Amino acid sequence: METVITPDQLSTREVIRDPYPAYRQLRDRSPFYYVELPAGSVPGIEEQSRWALMKYADVYGALRDHETFSSANNPLVGKAFPPLVLILDDPPRHTRFRRLVNRAFTLKRIEALTPWITSVASELLDGARLGEIDIVQRYTIPLPVKVIARLLGIPGEDYETFKGWSDAFLSLVSMDNTERMRSIQEMVGYFGKIAAARRAHGAEDLITALVEAEVEGEKLEEWEILGFCMLLLIAGNETTTNLIGNILNLLAARPELWEQLRTDRALVETVIDETLRYESPVQRLARTTTRDVEVSGVRIPKGDLVTVYFGAANRDPTEFPNPGEFRLDRDLRNHVAFGVGIHYCLGVPLARAETKATLNAFLDRFSAIKPGAAPAVRQTMTPVVFGFQQLPLVLKRH
Amino acid sequence: MRLVIDYKKCRKAGQCSYLHPELFKADEAGAPVVSVGHLGEDLREAAEEAVDLCPNGAISLKEDR
Repeated sequence: METVITPDQLSTREVIRDPYPAYRQLRDRSPFYYVELPAGSVPGIEEQSRWALMKYADVYGALRDHETFSSANNPLVGKAFPPLVLILDDPPRHTRFRRLVNRAFTLKRIEALTPWITSVASELLDGARLGEIDIVQRYTIPLPVKVIARLLGIPGEDYETFKGWSDAFLSLVSMDNTERMRSIQEMVGYFGKIAAARRAHGAEDLITALVEAEVEGEKLEEWEILGFCMLLLIAGNETTTNLIGNILNLLAARPELWEQLRTDRALVETVIDETLRYESPVQRLARTTTRDVEVSGVRIPKGDLVTVYFGAANRDPTEFPNPGEFRLDRDLRNHVAFGVGIHYCLGVPLARAETKATLNAFLDRFSAIKPGAAPAVRQTMTPVVFGFQQLPLVLKRH
Repeated sequence: MRLVIDYKKCRKAGQCSYLHPELFKADEAGAPVVSVGHLGEDLREAAEEAVDLCPNGAISLKEDR
């Protein structure tokens, strides 16, 4: 029998490791109020409670209604996070920023990067020794960090430092706060120096574009530039690392799926989308209500924090029949793994291009992919993402 | 020229009606609809940007019939 999970266990390591039993048990009861951050997690914040939205219709409705469910005014900004643009912001500033940076992430521009992404993937895989390897250290961490580093215009070899910073940023419930804030300050300082260097000498990169950009005749403020660099570094690697890891794990566990892909590469995109639904890399994000609002018959007062559970919505049986089955014959246009509405993931074309290039690179090289002897370990540092900390695989070359 | 949405590709991300309300409206279910017919010169640049920014490649420009 399944262990009974209560709402206040939603930020425990057990639930972070595998949140799906919790969603199954709690979805019908949502919206409910629960402890997101237990006392002591963040200095200056005693305990943080929020409303959980887990039903597909509620999640979808909240994401579309950005006026009621605000992304700004998060009480953790300044205490646990430096200000970030876009993800922790509302219109009108959000609109101006989104317009500005969308250009760098269009489908066309990103698809043009595919040959280069494939060469980074090849380099990582061809350098891998035969036998059992931890694909997380070897591949799923370095690939996205190297890609986003190139877009930003920072050296890809520093990827371990970048990964450390973005892990620290997310490790709200699992890292000593002083150490965490020191790491974030280091990241702020690093991007500050790069921005100053690009002001002096421009380059063909995103940071140069940001320092030179004018929105309605005005230059961006320093915090906006740094907030955008941090957002891209963090969002650009944690998410794709976890998506690719989740797919490779599924393929290793399901040889028939791997064989299906080998015979029909056209299924690559469907496998990516079903993985996004089935094991969403981003599980939850916060909003703050700007007015009293009724959700599924429950009144949520103005000014309360709300957690939107993408991971739970994507397993809601009313939207996805037999949600616990991994299937390639679903209509997957409705999954909310990338969100929906004004905050729809900016990096969608990039995430898809990296994941597709990865699957093609694996299919080109390997005849089989099997779980390793060492244990696969899910990350438990943050409830925001779902993915592996360690994923040993055995790759067999053609 | 006019704007066309391929609803087989559209995922209702909502970026078109958000960033180009002069060209698109979203219906109750969040699906976008093109709200202008023939595009005058004044809207051409915005329309081209809208085509480019759709994250799912669902918007295109077609010649008027």
